[in-house]
Amino acid sequence: MSDMFAFDETDRRIVEQLRQNGRATNQQIAESLNLIASTVSTRIRRMEDAGMLRVVAVSDFAVHGFHVLIHLAVEVSGRPALDVAEELAAFREVFAVHLVTGRYEISLLLTLRDMDELSPLIADKLSQVPGVRAMIPAIGLDIVKYGLDTAPIDSRRLA
Amino acid sequence: MSRPDLDELDHQLISILAQDARVSNRKIASDLGVNEGTVRGRIKRLQQDGLIAFTALTGLKLEKATNIAFVAVQADVSQARRIARDIAHIPLVKSVMIVLGPFNIMATCLYDDLDNLHAMASGQILQMPGVQHVETSLAVRTVKFSNRVVRITDAPMDGAI
Repeated sequence: MSDMFAFDETDRRIVEQLRQNGRATNQQIAESLNLIASTVSTRIRRMEDAGMLRVVAVSDFAVHGFHVLIHLAVEVSGRPALDVAEELAAFREVFAVHLVTGRYEISLLLTLRDMDELSPLIADKLSQVPGVRAMIPAIGLDIVKYGLDTAPIDSRRLA
Repeated sequence: MSRPDLDELDHQLISILAQDARVSNRKIASDLGVNEGTVRGRIKRLQQDGLIAFTALTGLKLEKATNIAFVAVQADVSQARRIARDIAHIPLVKSVMIVLGPFNIMATCLYDDLDNLHAMASGQILQMPGVQHVETSLAVRTVKFSNRVVRITDAPMDGAI
């Protein structure tokens, strides 16, 4: 179904309103866009049913007790990078996994409660995954912008 | 990073709203067995404290640029903060983190074709005063990612439609 779906101009304007305030009522959205409330509710349902829209509360890393963010550039050898990536993705501390082109094969983002979690994670878990040749860390100091609200909706959820 | 003081009710509210932010206060109140004023007050406080934000997540189809690239930047350390903010102003740059490692700044951006990415990485970012080196990696596949847990910053979470 989602292959057939296309956003039109009205959809885009409704999404724009929802991005500003996801909890705006259909009536409020309708008024600001000069539409009727039933059109707004039908449009939202249609986008949701097609799997192209979710209106949600996003929560800060701090809500989940994640106070340390680390990026790991993972170099792979002797095994398909996708297999390695999928195995790494299974760990709770691994927040994001992308296969990339360039100097390394896998981009990992780790979310930790504190630095004490790092040593067992690296030594006992990540470095034991076959195919992981090297991991180059970058410790997150400050997040200046974080706006990835557009992403594959069906990518694997955190527990 | 500060450690927020949240109780069980806060976590229940966050969990309900993370599934669907359009559910009414009345419905949440009756599901949790608390009154509507409590729900309204809690949600307001969580929002004001920057712990939750309501937004619309859309499939990449809504964007003109649908590919993801990671841009790692080596810059003069004394200017990293200013440079990071300048990079954050580029509309297609979706996230920027200052890091300690082989690079100072890591940015995630969306692009529609390679010309467009090259213009952003080499044309814009590399030209910024204080930037010494830029390395771009193209994401060919997202294996795991959650857009429900984020860093809520002062910068608006622009969808850049």
